[in-house]
Amino acid sequence: MRFKLKKRFLLNPGKCFLSFIVFALPVLFYGQGMTVSGTVTDATAGTLLPGVNVIIKGTSKGTTTDFDGNYTLQASTGDILQFSYVGFSTLELPVSSATMYVALKQDENVLDQVVVIGYGTTTIKDATGSLTSVTSEDFNRGNIVTPENLLSGRVAGLTINTGGEPGSGSTIRIRGGASLGASNDPLIVINGLPIDNNTIGGSRSVLSTINPNEIESFTVLKDASATAIYGSRASNGVIIITTKKGGRSLQVNFDAQIGINTLRDKVDVFSADELRALVAEQRPALLPLLGNANTDWQDEIYRNSITSTQNLSVSGSLFETIPTRVSIGRTYQEGLRLTSKFERNNGSLAMNPDFFDNHLKVSLNANATFAKNRFAGGEEANAITFDPTQPVYDVNSPFGGYFQYYNINGDDVLDANDLVSDAPFNPVANLLQTESISNVKRFYGNLKLDYNFHFFEDLTATINMGYDEQSSDGYVSVSRQNPLSQSDGSIVGSESNYNNYQRNKLFDGYLAYNKELGKFNIDATAGYSFQKFESSQYVSGELLNDQVDSEPILTVDTNLVLLGFFARTNFSFNDNYLLTLSYRRDGTSRFSKKNRWGNFPAAAFAWKIKEDFFPESEDFSTLKLRLGFGITGQQDIGRTNSDLFLQRYVRGQPASQYQFGDQVIQIGIPQFRNENLKWEETSTYNAGFDYGFFNDRITGSLEGFYKESKDLLANAAISDGSNFSNAGFQNIGDFVSQGVEFSINTDVFRPADRGFSWNVNYNATFIDTEIKKLALDADQEVGGISGGTGNTVQIHRVGYTPYAFYVYKQVYNTEGRPIEGGYADLNGDNIINSSDRYIHKNGTPDVTMGFLSNMSYGDFDLSFNLRASLGNYIYNNVNSSRAQYDLLQNNSVVANLPVSVLNTGFNTTEDVILSDYFIENASFLKMDNITLGYTIPNLWSDSASLRISAGVQNVFTITDYSGLDPEVFENGIDNTLYPRPRTYLVGMNIRL
Amino acid sequence: MINIFKLKTLGILGCFVLLTGCTGELDVEPGDPNAFLADDFYSDPSAYVEGLAGVYANLSLTGTNGADNSNIAGLDAGTSQYGRGLWNLQELTTDEALWTWENDPGLRELNRDTWTADNVVLRGMFGRTMTSVAFANEYLRQTSDELLDGRGVSGSLRDDIIVYRAEARFLRALAYYHMMDLFGKAPFVTENDAVGAYQAPQYTRAELFSFIESELTAILPQLKDPLQNEYARADKAAAWMLLAKIYLNAEVYIGEDHYADCLSYCEQIINSGYQLAPNYLNDFMADNDQGLSRQEIIFPVVSDGIVTQNYGPTTVMINGQIGSLEQNGEQFGVSAGGWNGAIRVTQGFSEVFVNGSYQNDDRNTLITENRTINIPDVSTRDKGYITAKWSNRTSTGEAGSAIEIVDTDFPMFRLADVYLMYAEAHLRGGGGTLSNAVDYVNALRERANNSSRITASDLNLNLILNERTVELYWEAHRRQDLIRFGKFTGGAYNWSWKGSTANGIAISEYRKLFPIPSASLAANPNLTQNPGY
Repeated sequence: MRFKLKKRFLLNPGKCFLSFIVFALPVLFYGQGMTVSGTVTDATAGTLLPGVNVIIKGTSKGTTTDFDGNYTLQASTGDILQFSYVGFSTLELPVSSATMYVALKQDENVLDQVVVIGYGTTTIKDATGSLTSVTSEDFNRGNIVTPENLLSGRVAGLTINTGGEPGSGSTIRIRGGASLGASNDPLIVINGLPIDNNTIGGSRSVLSTINPNEIESFTVLKDASATAIYGSRASNGVIIITTKKGGRSLQVNFDAQIGINTLRDKVDVFSADELRALVAEQRPALLPLLGNANTDWQDEIYRNSITSTQNLSVSGSLFETIPTRVSIGRTYQEGLRLTSKFERNNGSLAMNPDFFDNHLKVSLNANATFAKNRFAGGEEANAITFDPTQPVYDVNSPFGGYFQYYNINGDDVLDANDLVSDAPFNPVANLLQTESISNVKRFYGNLKLDYNFHFFEDLTATINMGYDEQSSDGYVSVSRQNPLSQSDGSIVGSESNYNNYQRNKLFDGYLAYNKELGKFNIDATAGYSFQKFESSQYVSGELLNDQVDSEPILTVDTNLVLLGFFARTNFSFNDNYLLTLSYRRDGTSRFSKKNRWGNFPAAAFAWKIKEDFFPESEDFSTLKLRLGFGITGQQDIGRTNSDLFLQRYVRGQPASQYQFGDQVIQIGIPQFRNENLKWEETSTYNAGFDYGFFNDRITGSLEGFYKESKDLLANAAISDGSNFSNAGFQNIGDFVSQGVEFSINTDVFRPADRGFSWNVNYNATFIDTEIKKLALDADQEVGGISGGTGNTVQIHRVGYTPYAFYVYKQVYNTEGRPIEGGYADLNGDNIINSSDRYIHKNGTPDVTMGFLSNMSYGDFDLSFNLRASLGNYIYNNVNSSRAQYDLLQNNSVVANLPVSVLNTGFNTTEDVILSDYFIENASFLKMDNITLGYTIPNLWSDSASLRISAGVQNVFTITDYSGLDPEVFENGIDNTLYPRPRTYLVGMNIRL
Repeated sequence: MINIFKLKTLGILGCFVLLTGCTGELDVEPGDPNAFLADDFYSDPSAYVEGLAGVYANLSLTGTNGADNSNIAGLDAGTSQYGRGLWNLQELTTDEALWTWENDPGLRELNRDTWTADNVVLRGMFGRTMTSVAFANEYLRQTSDELLDGRGVSGSLRDDIIVYRAEARFLRALAYYHMMDLFGKAPFVTENDAVGAYQAPQYTRAELFSFIESELTAILPQLKDPLQNEYARADKAAAWMLLAKIYLNAEVYIGEDHYADCLSYCEQIINSGYQLAPNYLNDFMADNDQGLSRQEIIFPVVSDGIVTQNYGPTTVMINGQIGSLEQNGEQFGVSAGGWNGAIRVTQGFSEVFVNGSYQNDDRNTLITENRTINIPDVSTRDKGYITAKWSNRTSTGEAGSAIEIVDTDFPMFRLADVYLMYAEAHLRGGGGTLSNAVDYVNALRERANNSSRITASDLNLNLILNERTVELYWEAHRRQDLIRFGKFTGGAYNWSWKGSTANGIAISEYRKLFPIPSASLAANPNLTQNPGY
């Protein structure tokens, strides 16, 4: 997405006339071959541009500019030369003379921008599907640790919800996802390599091992006409990531940023003195159990911490022939929670030389990352409820000087029998006495060869080979001074380690054909893709216990192999009518032979209405209609479910054996199997307008979509006795989501030579999802909560949004206070039981919005972004399972409660936990970031510059939600979360 | 240029090889060292006993990877355990047990007899029991003569497999018995039906009854003689016991009097060498698979803190019986607080001990000090009596191998039950002798060091029901007993929290059967809901 809009060259009537003349004259010489040469420069900076693609329109013939921006090629008068370069607008010029000097405009019209799509590229102007591109200049600023946050709030229809842990992963959804039981994660493709969405154990997240600084651009493909080329994996949309490439001129870039993470808010619980008063009033019998300290356990488990990143990249031409970029980066981030830490070091190499007179283009990307994580276990729930009248430290404690609830029984052995039974452990001790560290190595890269056939230059063959390998090795060590006991009751600490491995190999081969025939242009691609995923996990088991149930376990996932044949054709007529047809046939090793192949067609049509009806209008500068339809698939039901169609037997692990007589027999049992599993299919209809006003000073789009998923893959009840479980993956049910997306970009003020400029971007998405069919209309209870073993609070029911809250209707007294255990007898049978539960709200927002503002004046710039979510509700599990007076007594000790108990006066958790009282409106407005920057241009040469900046991350949140943060995971269930820090940052960037 | 052509040719050739070569890669095989295709698994001769152990294990294990792993969906892994489900349904619904943690899903409704077809414990038990049927069917399929011939299985293994198959059929009959008792019907699936999503026809209670009866009769010749099989494997006595059980309850199940059949199978068991263990409490200890308890237990479900880990009935009872006030877990080989007073008994149950002739009886394990006999509020853990019948310590006082998951096996069938069944069948007109009946009751009292003995004139059905309470509480018989004695539904006997009130109220007749779980009903349209739900 681009925000700085300028006059469109071709639409200027004066220039149009001129170009007519320029175009008409050479007709006289049409057909005469000639050598055209010249240089390409950056129109703004005046610098020479290496690596610009120069091709003869309608053919694959072309070249790229060299180190000095020079190009030479054979062309005929009448040919049109296309000059394109990522980040610059494409320029088309008819061949008029043997020497053509061309200036490309940076930050030029967004519509001309080259965007990467599946197995090819296009421009926004010619795109027929629903896609949004964001390039590096327009990325989000601030404390960006994982790549997806570069995009947060920036793309209509894309939501990104990131946790507060350092290096934390995100829940990424494009148009809300299309699945119920299968994955809703979009397909992420890095330089043509689709990556595995499974996070390797020991890593923070799939993308945490990718340095955001390496990324040049994102393309978000939203509708099926754009995604169907990825076939079986495209139902949830596709995010294409392109990493930075080498240039021909030497450029050095250094970034550094440092910041402080601070705790923004805490869960509101009683202070020590308030608790003393409360116990005296509510449960005076517990008074003797209270201590004398005043501890805020939430303050004790958190800290202010440091975050920093440094990136250095050098780009230039190696041996003057191989454009190369090398970079190193380091991110170091300490979490708010004591001991938690994320460290990432990465190095990358990109080379993209051309050979044989530009007939062979080679692109090599290699990236190695070493990440070190220290995990800190979730102590939030413990800190909320731990007695604040007890101290953190206790000099007499045998547990490393930390306060613990103990009761030495005098048998001279410190074991579980010396502990106060079922008392919580000191949360600070748990954090400081546990060392959970993993080292993750990831190598990913690809080698892409584009060969433009000699003597048949309309045809290009491409081979792309990708490789992504990750391994982690980690250990968890708990000090023997921690009261943690082994299963036999001994207190000796705990030691274990693990190794995980996963690998993904890709081979793509395809042919592209491009031909212009008069007013027709055909651009066709056909190819083949093969990808194989392998993974395994090793756990040592408890090393301080030599029983058989703690022996090491190696788990190897069954390989997953995906292969596909695909084809796409773009037809355009008169450059006004564009038709795209695509088709993919995919096979997966996940399904049985009769079901493993699926077909995924798509079609899209675009009509540049403006050119037909009011070609002269400048006020109404763009109007394009896009219509698309396509079928996409989904087969991702997790790596452990890659062989459900096979007749599998599994042997029991050491803890799961049976005994005949005195013999322990290793059991073998058949596993759930479904030979009829097949693709889930999503049909998407998309209709949209791209618009532009006032010479595209205002641009944007409005589109609507309707997605229908059928044969949903879900883990659902199966006829009892027919299989080796009462439930398993099946193709059940239909699901519909529909929505409207709106986006607008505008230059409110345009710079008149370094004057005040203000660009804003706003997008809004309305989404409505509904389950249309479930197997035999059976409800599925989902949404596990804390409080009780295996309790659930959500349901999938036909006619409702997935993960709708399923609760009892609270009855209130005349003062408006909830009556404990007072549920409405909704079915009127005089018994309050599960038949009285009803559906009340859900965690999915009705509307999400993003807003970005960029201002600059002279050398200063100021940007901020806002995100809003409306109509999303949260089940406040923090309160529902903790804010009851009975819980002041936690067995033999006193526990703290959320202060919300004062509003309800509830005593017993069991009587209230499923009340709709705990469902709260969690609509919010958040400012994610505000950054002020100052640039010193021409530092010591024209091209050297320095930018310094200061900013705040997680600036404010406006919400009525009573809990810590209205942005939660688990489809709207808030059962404590790792708080998102507020970060104060300063940074610098030097370019040479 | 020549290079280019070579490159191109090589490239195209390479593409071609890859294209054709790679479709074969779609045929994958399990990569895990513990996972096998069925034929590979059974290529190993020892697999036949391991497969049989898998069928048995479904009574105890919830999955192949520890106690928190489950192959049954819809509820927490531990609660999906076979014996636990049986225990929850036969005990929590009665006066013998009240589950304190009512926010554990489904348990409040069982405590208070207000369950619906959405209850997750019901869904779990329905699924777990039918999965036993599925495992047994699969074992029978994999051990068909045709497959055994094909795999070249012969000799002594082939002979063993005849016995194994009979045991698998016993386990299937046991599962159908539980379906018949709890739900009054079942989807009827055999080894002749395909694995997948087969929507089996519904068998009524009467059809199940005759299937169980004919199946057990058919396998008797192949089963090993009483006490001659390995511990924990079914023998003839286990099959006789199951037959005796269905005949004792035949009036409830099919409206027919089969007391004579019941009595005759009881006699067969009694005469086949089983003996009461000398010490009552030894039957419920961590070493009840050893020594003299071995002579009393007819069919156990195995549990072990290390190799057979599960949250089954013995782990639940031992941790659950630990008092919130008493913190007496160490005495029973679990943590001091256990599960913090998870299980207490109702006033009605306690009164049998307090008011009857069981005050001084080893079977009276009530802990009453500082506690009230009544439970005014389910969540108030310090009120109501607790018990101390079960233990994770051995008869010599050694602690079990772990402090939460216990080593104590669950005696699903034991001789003491047979004695009382004999006496009951006799009283209900099944024949036998009155003196034997009296002797059997007194044998139990004698073993429990109860000085009060009965005479022929004392023997009546009320006494039998009380004696069953005292001897067999928490052994998953209570609901079945109360139904047979006409005291479960209606208002003939209202225990505390029956019908969701502190003093108990009548509940409707239809609650003698549990509903078919909604999810099961939806997945198999051939099933019909029980009346009242």
